[in-house]
Amino acid sequence: MPPKQTKVAGRTKEDTKEDPLQAVVVADTFESKFAPFSTERPRCLIPLANAPLIEYTLEYLASAGVQDVFFYAGAHIEQVETYLNASRWMSKSSPLKIILLRCMATSVGDIMRDIDQKRLIQGDFICVSGDIISDFPISKALRVHKQRREKDKDAIMTILVRERNQSDHRHKDQIVPTFVIDPTKDRILHYEESFAGTAFGTHVDPEILKTPELDVRQDLVDCRIDIGTPDMLSLWSDNFDNQHPRKDFLYGVLKDYELNGKTIHTYVVDEHYAHRVDSPAAYAAITYDLQHGIASSLALSNNIAGTRFQRSRKNILKEDDVIIQRPTRLDHGTIVGSGTSIGASTSIRKTIVGRRCQIGKRANIDSAFIWDDVTIGSDVKISRAIVGSETFIGDKCVIEDGALISFGSRIPAGSHIPPGERVTSTSSFNKDGTLAKDPAADAFESDEDEPTYESQWARPFYGQQEFAESTFSLDSDASEPSDEISKDGSRSASFVTHGSEEDTSERFVHDTAAILVQRMQEDRNSDDMQSELMGLRFSGGADGGQVQKAVAIALSRHIHSEVDNGASADKATRKTLEQYRNLVRRPNAEQTIEEQVVFLLEAQLDLSRRTDGARIMPFFVKDLYDLEVFEEEAFTKWFDDERSKEDNVAATRDAAEPFIDWLAATDEEESEEEEEDDDGEED
Amino acid sequence: MAADLLLVPGLASFRASLPSWPVEKSIEHLISLFRRRQIRGPKPCALATAWLLRKVVSTTRATEPGKLILRVQDVGKKLVEAAPRELTVGNIVRRVLGAIREEEENREADTPLGSEPNSIPPTPAGELPTSFLPASAIAPARDDSPLGRPQNRPALLSQQTGGPERRPAVTSMFSIMAHPTMRGSAGGSSPIRSGSSTPSTVPQPPQNTDFRAEVLEAITEIVDELDQADEQVAGYALDHISSQETIFTYSTSPVVQRFLLKAASKRKFTLIQAESYPNSHKATHATVIGSKIPEGYEDLDTESFSKPLIAYGITVLLIPDSSIFALMSRANKVIISATGVLSNGSIVAAAGTKPLVTAARFHRVPVIVLAETYKLSPVVPYDPFDFVDYGDVQKVVPYQDREMQLGLQSVQNPVTDFVESEYVDMFVTNLGGVATGYMYRTIRDQYHDEDLEL
Repeated sequence: MPPKQTKVAGRTKEDTKEDPLQAVVVADTFESKFAPFSTERPRCLIPLANAPLIEYTLEYLASAGVQDVFFYAGAHIEQVETYLNASRWMSKSSPLKIILLRCMATSVGDIMRDIDQKRLIQGDFICVSGDIISDFPISKALRVHKQRREKDKDAIMTILVRERNQSDHRHKDQIVPTFVIDPTKDRILHYEESFAGTAFGTHVDPEILKTPELDVRQDLVDCRIDIGTPDMLSLWSDNFDNQHPRKDFLYGVLKDYELNGKTIHTYVVDEHYAHRVDSPAAYAAITYDLQHGIASSLALSNNIAGTRFQRSRKNILKEDDVIIQRPTRLDHGTIVGSGTSIGASTSIRKTIVGRRCQIGKRANIDSAFIWDDVTIGSDVKISRAIVGSETFIGDKCVIEDGALISFGSRIPAGSHIPPGERVTSTSSFNKDGTLAKDPAADAFESDEDEPTYESQWARPFYGQQEFAESTFSLDSDASEPSDEISKDGSRSASFVTHGSEEDTSERFVHDTAAILVQRMQEDRNSDDMQSELMGLRFSGGADGGQVQKAVAIALSRHIHSEVDNGASADKATRKTLEQYRNLVRRPNAEQTIEEQVVFLLEAQLDLSRRTDGARIMPFFVKDLYDLEVFEEEAFTKWFDDERSKEDNVAATRDAAEPFIDWLAATDEEESEEEEEDDDGEED
Repeated sequence: MAADLLLVPGLASFRASLPSWPVEKSIEHLISLFRRRQIRGPKPCALATAWLLRKVVSTTRATEPGKLILRVQDVGKKLVEAAPRELTVGNIVRRVLGAIREEEENREADTPLGSEPNSIPPTPAGELPTSFLPASAIAPARDDSPLGRPQNRPALLSQQTGGPERRPAVTSMFSIMAHPTMRGSAGGSSPIRSGSSTPSTVPQPPQNTDFRAEVLEAITEIVDELDQADEQVAGYALDHISSQETIFTYSTSPVVQRFLLKAASKRKFTLIQAESYPNSHKATHATVIGSKIPEGYEDLDTESFSKPLIAYGITVLLIPDSSIFALMSRANKVIISATGVLSNGSIVAAAGTKPLVTAARFHRVPVIVLAETYKLSPVVPYDPFDFVDYGDVQKVVPYQDREMQLGLQSVQNPVTDFVESEYVDMFVTNLGGVATGYMYRTIRDQYHDEDLEL
C-alpha cells in the first residue's frame, strides 16, 4: 500500500509540473445588460446571494482542478483588482494562482489576441467568462477533448452546451444560437445566432448538407465554458477583427473550414448545473436555484463563496449577528446577511437581504433583491425591486415591481417609485414624492441602449412581456462595446462599427484581408492580387470603402508580421508598400482626400492593436508620402481628424507627429490653404 | 490516468496532492472539497480528515502536546464547520485529539519514573496500539463486549466520579498505578531533577519528537481501522443471521453488503432489498446484480461488490420503496447501516429509513443497525433538523422540468433521515453487538471527555 501511494503521488507531481491546467477568465463581457448597476461597478462584483459573482466563477475553476488563472478584468479594472487582491484567492493557501492581466481591449477578441501574444498558454485550457455558476466537472469534457485531439490535431476547441427546456423562462428574450452538428463526431458544422421570436433563416453551405447525419438544434444553451487550445488562440490572432467569441469567431472559423481545416466540437452537459448570469432574468433565476439547492454542491448553505449562512427550517438562511425583532415574519426562501437588523412586524418573503442592512418596522418586502448597507425606513413597501448598495429609503416609501435603485440613492420619505423606474444617486424628487426628471436621467433616456435595460430588468418580474416589445437587438448583446465602457472613459467605441446590417460588410472585410495577407506572405505580385481583389469585390458585392479598409488592414498586418519576424520597421514598411502600393491606389486613379483619410484611419486602428504599431506608423505614413501614393493634405487632415486622436489609438498618431511637423515645415505655403472642418463619417 | 486524478477533485486527488502541497494549502483544499461536497459520505470524509491531520501533526513544530492539541482543535473546527453534516469528520478529529492527550498523559506519567529519559518505557509502548484501535483488531473479536475493553473503562469511570479539578482520563492500568499516586511525588521531584542534574534536561527534546511519532502512529492506526472496519463488523454476521431467515435491508452500503456476504458463506437466507429511490437506487440495483457501481457513488468500494449475494445462492428480492410496508410482515429482521450514530443511540441514515423502521415497528420486526466505530459520534441531537442533509433536487424533479419546479413552492431532496433511538433494537459495531440503551457508553469510551465539545 505505501509504495503504491508514493508512486501515484510522484507521478501526479510530475504531471503537475509538466502541464498545469490553465484557465482564462474574461471578466468583462463587453455588454450592457446590467446597466445602470454596471456603470458603477463591474458586473463580476455584483452580489449574488451576498457574494460577488466572481467568487462563484473562481470557486468553480478551483473545483474543476484549475491551477493557473489568467484574469482579464476589463471595465472598472481597479475595483476588480482591489477586490481580488484582498480576497482569499490571493492568499498563500489559495488553490489558484491568479495572474491579473491588463490590456487595452474593446472586445473579447482583443483579449484572446493579447493572450496569444503574451504566450502564456502552454496546453489545453479553459476559457470562461466572469459570471459562470456551475458544478460541472470539467474533467469529463477535458478527457473527451484530449482524446479527440490525439486523433485529430485540428480539433481546436470544445464548447460546453446544455440542453434546455423550451419553457425555461430565463432564456426567452435572449439570443437563440443555432448549432448545426454532426452528431457522430459532436462537430459543429455551422453556427448562427438569431433572435428569439423572430423568423429564422440561415444559409448553410450545401457541402454541409452532404453529411450523412445532421442535427440542427436550437435547444442548446451556450454555457460559455470553452476548452481551447493554443491553436485556437493563433486563429484569433489571424482573424484579427473578430470581436465576439461566438458571433464572429465561431461563425468565422466554421465558415473557413475549407481554408484552415480547423474543427470545433460540442460537449453536452446533461445532469449538472452550468449557467451564466448573463442577464437580470438569469440573475433572478439562478439566485432562486442556488437557494433551493437545485444542485446540492452549489447550495447556498454550503457557503462555497465565502458566505457564512446557517440554514434553518422553512429554507431561511441567515448569517451571524442578525438581529430580528419579534414579531417578524420571515417567509420561505429568505436570505439575511450578517449584521442586518430587522424591525418588528416586518414581513419579508423570498427576498435576499444583504449585509449590514437596517430594515424598519412594519415594512413589507416581497421577492426583492436588497444589496449591502441599505437602510430602509418603517412602513416601506417593496415588491420585486432591486435595491443597490448603500441606498437610503425613507419611511412610507412604496417601490413597485421592477424598480431599480442604483448605488447610493437617497429616496425621501413618502416617495412612490412606479414600476420599472430607475433611481440613481443623482435623481431628485418632487415634494409630492414623485420622481423628478433630472438631467442625469435624461442622459440615460437619450442613450440608445436605454430602453434595453429598462425592459431587461423589468422582465424577470413581469415575466410575460411580448417579444415584439423588445428593443434589444442582436449587436447590443454581442460585440458592440457598451456604453458602460465609453462612460468609463478609458476606451472608445467610435471605431468599431458593428450592427446587424453591417455584418456582411464586416465579413467581407475580414475575409478579404485574410486572403490578402496570405497572398502577401506568398509574395505574390500586386497585379495578380489586384485582379483577385476585384473578383472578391464583385462576388461580395462590396463597395470601394470596404476594399480600402481590407487593404489597410492587410498591409498593416503584413508589415507587422514582417517586423515580428525580425525585419526593421522602416525596411519592412518600405518593402511592403513599394510592392503593394498599387493596391492602395493605382497610378493616377481618382481618389478623394476623404477616402485617403479613412484609409489612414483604418491602418492606424489596426496598428494600434499591435505591440509595435507605434513604431511602424511613422514609416507607414512617410513611405506613403514618399511613394506619392497619397497627397500631403490627406496626412495633415488625418492628423487633425478627431478620430485619430481617440485614446486607444492616440499613441500611434503621436508617433507620426515628427513626420507631420516635417511636412508642415517643408510645405508651408501649401499648408496655408484653407482647411475645411471635416466631420465626415467613415460609413 | 494520473493527470485525471488531479483533474477530478475528490478523495483521490486530495490524497495525491497531500505530500507535495504545503499544509495550509492542503487544509484549505480539504475545506473547499468538503464545502463543495466533492468528498462526501462517512468513510471518505473520515479518511480525508485522518490524512490531513496526520500531515498537520507531522508538520507542526510543537514541543508541547498542549500546543499540538490547540493546533489540531483549530484545524478540526474549520473542517467540522465546512462539513457540518458529516459526523465522521468530528469523530476523527476527536480521536486524534484523544491520541495526543494519551501521549501527554504517558509523558507526564513517564517523566518521574524513567531514570533514562529518552528510552521508550516498555509499558506505554506496548499499550499504544491497543489504546485507540478497537481491541477487536488484535484480540479475538468475539469476546470483546464493550466492557471487555480494558484501557479506557476504569479511567473514564474514575474520571467521572472524581471532582472537576482532578486530572482526567488515565488510560491504562499502568497509568492508574503511576498517575494519581505518583502525582505528588512527581510534581515534587521533577523540579529537583531538572535543577540538579543536567542530563535529564538535555534528553528532553528526543522525548518530544518521540511523542509526535507516537501520535502519528496512532493516526496511522486510525486509518487502518477505517479500512478494516467493514470486515470487523462483518465478523459478527453469523451471530445475527440464522438459516432460513428473511432479512430486510434498505439501500446499499459496503458494510451491510459485507455483513450479508459473510453470513451467506455459511447460511441460507432470503433477502428483501428496497431500492431507496432516488438517491441510491442505481447503486442498489448494481449491488444486487453485481455490476459496477455507477459513477457518483465513489464512496462505495467497488471491489467488495464484485460477487453479488445471488452468486452464493441467496434469494434476493429487489423491491420498490412503495412495497416496504407490504413485505415487512414477512421479514424476521431489518438490517441497515447508519451514516452516523449519535450519543443517545439515535441514528442518521439514508433518506427513507424512518418510514422503513416505522413499518418494522408496526410489524414488530427487530431493527439491527450496523455502525463502524468511526461513525459513533458524541454529538447530542438537540435539533434533528441539523442532521438532515439535502441533495440534488434534480433527482426528484428533473432540471428540465422547469414548469414543475416553479409550480411547487419548494422542492427538496433529503439525503439523510434522522431516526430516534427507540426505533433501533440493536447495534453491531466493530466491538460486537451493543444494545441501544447502552450505546451512550460505547460512544463515550471512544473519546476523551475534553473533546466532546470541539
